[in-house]
Amino acid sequence: MAYPLQLGLQDATSPLMEELIQFHDHTLMIALLLSTMVFYTILTTVTTKLTNKNMLDSQGIETIWTIAPALILILIAMPSLRVLYMMDEVNNPHLTVKTIGHQWYWSYEYTDYKNLEFDSYMIPTQDLIPGQFRLLETDHRMVVPTDSPVRMLITADDVIHSWAVPTLGEKMDAIPGRLNQTTFVVSHPGVFYGQCSEICGANHSFMPISVEAIPLIHFEDWSTSMLAKI
Amino acid sequence: MAGEEEERKKKGFKLLGILDVQNTPCAREALLHGAGGSAVAGLLHFLVTSRVKRSFDVGFAGFMLTTLGSWFYCRLKNAKLRVQQRMVQEGIKNKILYEGTPLDPTNKPRPSGPS
Repeated sequence: MAYPLQLGLQDATSPLMEELIQFHDHTLMIALLLSTMVFYTILTTVTTKLTNKNMLDSQGIETIWTIAPALILILIAMPSLRVLYMMDEVNNPHLTVKTIGHQWYWSYEYTDYKNLEFDSYMIPTQDLIPGQFRLLETDHRMVVPTDSPVRMLITADDVIHSWAVPTLGEKMDAIPGRLNQTTFVVSHPGVFYGQCSEICGANHSFMPISVEAIPLIHFEDWSTSMLAKI
Repeated sequence: MAGEEEERKKKGFKLLGILDVQNTPCAREALLHGAGGSAVAGLLHFLVTSRVKRSFDVGFAGFMLTTLGSWFYCRLKNAKLRVQQRMVQEGIKNKILYEGTPLDPTNKPRPSGPS
């Protein structure tokens, strides 16, 4: 869950996001060391008493500062490609949920067994009860079972939206006339929030996503109760 | 309790404003090893050569190499541990699922004797 003035990534709730965080930390450490090295080099260059007005041969340093960046880039690229291909793995989803972006709400469809469809509107600030999160809570959450691969089919009804849940490492554009697919596994139960991530009009900031992950046995109860309600 | 934990996390020390040293695995150890390596390398070089500026440069190089080395070693160890963790979790899940069935991985095959 996000907190005020947060700079870093949210804690991972899916194995994919854990890998993304590992890659982020790896790249950040390399970037930090490089920045420190550049800062130190500038400091020594600015404070040196040595001056030379003639250009000198410098094959040695030129070789080093050509090969070293290439090696560093390889060091970054290898885990990057690993995570990239990991994100595209097919993992036999147990459940398919379709989500459609509208102006300005999301609708969800669970059509694997029976036709369960509902809309998910943001709860306005004045209607929040104490303990609820402003601009994040919705009247109906998208409920998924834990430890089960879930396939999301994402599209939109009018303009481009984007379905994003940072803690799951998910972000996929919802484009009218196109069906985008993504899969995720939620590792532990909880409620996870996201917000529309593609500008879509006046209420773009007011169409959040909330995903509730519950054990499978309770998921079956939930879907039965939702079908009865609808 | 959760609130206290969250507060501690919010106050985590961010090196150069970007790297959360407390909450990033291996970061604290890598930086501490780097600091130690830098001090040792710089001091040794100074003791041998008595050149201050060059010793600072050597110390800095020592910091970079020690930090990188410690970081990668720790991350590799962590990655192996995570893989083992996942295998153990999968194994526990499979044991619970298949216990008592022919697919139970802990079932030892009975030797077939003469009838």
